[in-house]
Amino acid sequence: MATVSNWIDHLNKPAEEVAGSVYPGAGSSEFILVILLIAVWIGWSVITDKSEREELERLSRKRHGANDHKSNITDW
Amino acid sequence: MTDQLGALTTIFTEFYYWVTVVLMFLIHVGFCMYEVGASRYKHHQHTLMKNTMLIPLVTVTWFLFGWWIYWAFPTGPGIAPSIMTESTGLVLGGGFGGNDLANPTNALMAVNLNDHIMGVFWAAFLLFSWTAASIVSGAIIERITTFAFGVLAIAIGSVFWSIDASWGWHFDGWMLKILGYHDAYASGVIHAIAGGFALGVLMVLGPRIGKFSSSGEPRNIGPRNPWLVTIGLFLIYTGFWGFYAACNVPIYDLGPEYGMEGVTFWTATNIYLTPTTLSGITMNFLMSLSGGLLAGYVIAKGDPFWTYSSGLAGIICASAGNDLYHPIQALIIGMIGVVISYKLHYWVERKFKIDDAVGAVAVHGYAGFIGLVICGFVLNGYPSSGYSVGAMFDGTTYATINPLGQFIGAIIMFLVLGLIPGYIIARVLNGMGKLRIPREVEIAGLDYEMMEAAKDDEKAVSSATR
Repeated sequence: MATVSNWIDHLNKPAEEVAGSVYPGAGSSEFILVILLIAVWIGWSVITDKSEREELERLSRKRHGANDHKSNITDW
Repeated sequence: MTDQLGALTTIFTEFYYWVTVVLMFLIHVGFCMYEVGASRYKHHQHTLMKNTMLIPLVTVTWFLFGWWIYWAFPTGPGIAPSIMTESTGLVLGGGFGGNDLANPTNALMAVNLNDHIMGVFWAAFLLFSWTAASIVSGAIIERITTFAFGVLAIAIGSVFWSIDASWGWHFDGWMLKILGYHDAYASGVIHAIAGGFALGVLMVLGPRIGKFSSSGEPRNIGPRNPWLVTIGLFLIYTGFWGFYAACNVPIYDLGPEYGMEGVTFWTATNIYLTPTTLSGITMNFLMSLSGGLLAGYVIAKGDPFWTYSSGLAGIICASAGNDLYHPIQALIIGMIGVVISYKLHYWVERKFKIDDAVGAVAVHGYAGFIGLVICGFVLNGYPSSGYSVGAMFDGTTYATINPLGQFIGAIIMFLVLGLIPGYIIARVLNGMGKLRIPREVEIAGLDYEMMEAAKDDEKAVSSATR
């Protein structure tokens, strides 16, 4: 997957002719990486939405009063 | 400097590093805020002073010998020959590349009209040293003596990190030649070593009183000031950004450097003098930060302390190869590092009763270690240096980056130069009775008398105004 195996060989030409993309998989992996990023973004949104909804439902079932949080503060 | 273009290049480089040093000061501000926010009220002021005093202690020792070690030790000594001296001995003398400039008795270690770079470069590395010591500082809050921390800060900040930088972060370092070690933005060189060192100290220091129940169950001692922790971590991110810039050489012609006749290639380089761009590493920095935050939010179930720390862990994990990764690779690597580090933190806490007050071993040590190992796979086959390419363990040429070399490198950083020295020094300090504060003081709080005195002062002022 390495795009460069020797810097001297890679740079040994006029600067404007040197291939600029040097990341692993350059020229062949970009589409897959973008699909992966979209999957991460959507997957993360689904997971966090689900866990937030569950937490909010659990909290609302406890029916806390407006002043209950005042006894929650750590003071040492 | 006699021609204007040469002067501009030199003075731009000087100013560039100067800006990074100022930016990196924010790392220390952030660490101070973060540690105070994580400590309990009764320990606040001592926690702050401990972390503040590492600044002069590490600075003085960095001036005396830390900087000298970096320039003297790239060959081991005795492991692989220098490309400059062709000897495996200490690299002494010879300007940049040799350690003439780092000798504190030398007139060059001062204002010098023929050298605009050494001072800002010295300062940039010094700020890295503070960071290494500050990482250790957070893990051991509320129960270590300031004296012991001072000794430990000097050991990690001016000795062991300096050795590892010389071995694995110097363009002539033996780890590049023998192992093909690559660690562009210090996953291992600063973070894994400091995390390992902190773990070694914690093994001797023991947990805070009350951290574990009589049955060994860990109790959470959460941050007392979430806002301070938040701002602290955001400042650390900001300073880390400056750190990334400081790890680069801003403008360099690699043609003559690599001995290519008639070829000119001006570029920014990483610390190894291989090409990269400030633009590209900025993308990778932000994408790995984002990967860390995304993964941290999920794995820590929205806990702010861990989510912010995970942003940092994400960057740290991707840092080894962030000079070459694609931004999406950086993001995914950051996510992987965060999940493993978080799980490891709680497993080690339960299994070995290790009380790492701020999760420093996980965020820096484990994430750094994992980042090095992942880098070995993702950058497998890339040259570790521009000067030559050769076989692993050859020593006279530079091995290519590879998984085994990175794994051995991670062991050297975390264990050999981190955990083992931290453990031994802490054992010695403990044997002298200098490591831990008395139990009674820990229970009452290190700031108890300060707070009492402040109360009496307030009473006196108040009565005088009646």
